[in-house]
Amino acid sequence: MRLLPGSLDHVRERNESAWLMPPHPGTNHQLRHDMRRFEDDDEVDLVIVGCGAGGSTLMQRLARLGWRIVALDAGPFWEPERDWVSDEAGSHHLYWNDPRVIAGSDPVPLGSNNSGRGVGGSMVHYAGYTPRFHPSDFRTYSQDGVGADWPFAYEDLRPYYQDIEEELPVAGEDWPWGDPHSYPHSPHPVGGNGEIFLEGARKVGITAKVGPVAISNGRFGNRPHCIYRGFCLQGCKVDAKASPLITHIPDALAHGAEVRADSMVTRVGVDDRTGRATGVHYVRRGRERFQRARMVAVAGYSIETPRLLLNSATERWPNGLCNDHDLVGRYVMVQGAPQTAGRFDREIRMYKAPPPEVSSEQFYETDPKAPYQRGFSIQTVSPLPITWSEHVIAQGHWGASLREYMSDYVHWACFGALCEFLPRPENRVTLDEEKDRHGMPIAHFSYSQGENDQQLLQAAQQKMEEILHAAGADETMTIQRFAHLVGGARMAATEDKGVVSGDCQSFAIPNLYLTDGSVLPTQGSANPALTIMAIAARAASRLARGARGGPPR
Amino acid sequence: MNQKLPLQDPNARGRFPGFDTASQAEYWDMATKAVVAERLGMPPNIRFFTREEEATANALCDQLLDQQEDPRVPVVHLIDARLAEKQYDGWHYEDMPEDAEAWKQSLAALDQDSREAWSRPFHECDLGEQRGVIQAIVDRGSGEWHGMIAKRVWSLWTRYACSAFYSHPWAWDEIGFPGPAFPRGYKNIGVDKLEPFEVRDAKPVDPTRIGDADRGKS
Ligand SMILES: Cc1cc2nc3c(=O)[nH]c(=O)nc-3n(C[C@H](O)[C@H](O)[C@H](O)COP(=O)(O)OP(=O)(O)OC[C@H]3O[C@@H](n4cnc5c(N)ncnc54)[C@H](O)[C@@H]3O)c2cc1C
Ligand code: SF4
Repeated sequence: MRLLPGSLDHVRERNESAWLMPPHPGTNHQLRHDMRRFEDDDEVDLVIVGCGAGGSTLMQRLARLGWRIVALDAGPFWEPERDWVSDEAGSHHLYWNDPRVIAGSDPVPLGSNNSGRGVGGSMVHYAGYTPRFHPSDFRTYSQDGVGADWPFAYEDLRPYYQDIEEELPVAGEDWPWGDPHSYPHSPHPVGGNGEIFLEGARKVGITAKVGPVAISNGRFGNRPHCIYRGFCLQGCKVDAKASPLITHIPDALAHGAEVRADSMVTRVGVDDRTGRATGVHYVRRGRERFQRARMVAVAGYSIETPRLLLNSATERWPNGLCNDHDLVGRYVMVQGAPQTAGRFDREIRMYKAPPPEVSSEQFYETDPKAPYQRGFSIQTVSPLPITWSEHVIAQGHWGASLREYMSDYVHWACFGALCEFLPRPENRVTLDEEKDRHGMPIAHFSYSQGENDQQLLQAAQQKMEEILHAAGADETMTIQRFAHLVGGARMAATEDKGVVSGDCQSFAIPNLYLTDGSVLPTQGSANPALTIMAIAARAASRLARGARGGPPR
Repeated sequence: MNQKLPLQDPNARGRFPGFDTASQAEYWDMATKAVVAERLGMPPNIRFFTREEEATANALCDQLLDQQEDPRVPVVHLIDARLAEKQYDGWHYEDMPEDAEAWKQSLAALDQDSREAWSRPFHECDLGEQRGVIQAIVDRGSGEWHGMIAKRVWSLWTRYACSAFYSHPWAWDEIGFPGPAFPRGYKNIGVDKLEPFEVRDAKPVDPTRIGDADRGKS
């Protein structure tokens, strides 16, 4: 049963963030001003590297239980009203723009297409889709003979999915796929792009549903309603779209955690003698510093987490921390994300309303009749003009024909697929010879597709074309893209198969945890942020319950 | 602020009569207004490109975006500023140098191609000759071009050029996009629904359904 908006008041008892926001778009400056501040020499209970999806969730959960926590982030502690703009080119600073090298037979462009920098992490500029993974995702190896099995099952994650869905909160129709469930907020009205998706899908007999999006539909705490302005990928100035900056960090601060922004962690400190982590080396305002801690959690995204472990090598771990089995940096995954657009004489104006509107998971599972394993999902995406120009350029237009095609922008509807590319050990992050301004080797990321991956791309494009044509499109165009990097330090049942356990504890160093997207063994064809948060929430609860010795004191 | 881009193509020109995004600036928040106002103001001085590179880059970008007359969006100034400030995109291909160096090398290579084909620097070639030199690079696709993969150079040029051009309110006027939308938002969403400040397309028929004779071809 779907609850009415406003009936989420019980969430306040476990996460007060939405009530700690001011009653208008903006920042609770008092809360930040009053934030507790630790000394480098204080041996805190936990230091977290990265305040993104995984790091912030872990911080909020454990701060509530009285843990003394410092969370460092390389980027700024955003003040959305001042730092974010309702403009595409002006949002370049939201991304991780430090240099990285890309290679392989299918190199994956990073930056704006992949990761963020600053408190809130990549969810600051993520689109806002928050689907769950399907139960089959947790056992693709035993079920379909591809990918890997997780060290736990879907059912183990279900309660954490439910909690996080309420805390964001997620809006959408009753969900018929995977483990059928409903959402705390009712579905949003859809714009032109969503209408076309629903219309085309109905005509070809594909089930499509509105949602699931982490955008409040109605007031949630003090957070306002979405104003359908379409700039979700540029950071939501309205505070309608969820990111940890507004969904978990306020509550963590209110419970005595410190967020230390503009702090780039360069090494995890480890005592070779005891085999335990001792804290982290970081650079702030040009000065090298060391924060002592009883426990370290790294949550820096699938590129930065492996990079940091590899760069923290010691005599005991000469190939990088936790890397005795040569698994750190391996099995990094991206979803194949072709985007297909269709042209209508009607005006679609896809820049209105949030880009995430409607999706279908009808092709998510392995189809025994298809030549490939696993599947894909289809969603609305609504590129703004600069991104849209890439679509037009990709068709070979330039000069006058580029300008002419671009002047046709209001007539196009655009969908994106997420294809479950399979994990491969050679798709990996290593350290490059090139160094960044801190003297730290930059990440080198190599990616190549397999045959199954390519078959999925074609199948997905075909379905998107079908839907668009059924809705009346007379012309389509497709661009090949990638989305959602995960993996690189995957979890597994045993240390020869993975870097961390199902509780996110590294096998090698008992007080070193990894709590971000890098622990995912497979990726499904769902957007990952909700799952990353749920995994971090689960890890926190296992830590708190003492499954691994309990809180440090 | 009522300048319009002189778009050559007969189909695209004037699709959104009277549409003027900058006239709505009073409805934008301060932070956004500031970044957009900067684009409408005096362009930053050239700091990164040498004079020769600037000439080549201007001729190249005029071609890529079909800006052969004033007023122009000062695309090269905006690219130069990004390169001078190392505002790259956060990655580069293993077989390509960082963006700034890649721009320098590729502009020099472009010039070299025109000197070989027409015995003149690229910016002194006529427009047809320039188009030929550019199309030859596009046609190489995944093949090599002066030690780089052609399509990666193409992606570098078009990414920077289009980011600059389609960030400009004049370009938004031309495509019917209203630009910033905070704090006003949109109230009429859905197919064929307009806000009072949006303008309906005066030429809604698919350009590909119009005979080639009626349209400019590049
Ligand atoms: C354009 C775009 C659209 C997306 N859309 C969706 C979507 O609709 N739905 C969805 O589920 N996902 C989406 N994603 C992906 C999603 O945002 C990420 O998968 C998710 O946020 C990753 O979580 P994380 O915890 O692994 O890392 P992040 O959230 O990226 O957090 C990592 C943090 O660590 C910090 N950091 C890194 N290294 C260091 C260091 N050495 N020292 C200090 N700090 C460090 C970074 O600054 C960053 O804040 C999208 C991503 C992009 C780029
Ligand atoms: S469309 Fe809604 S959720 Fe997206 S940025 Fe605008 S107000 Fe925020």
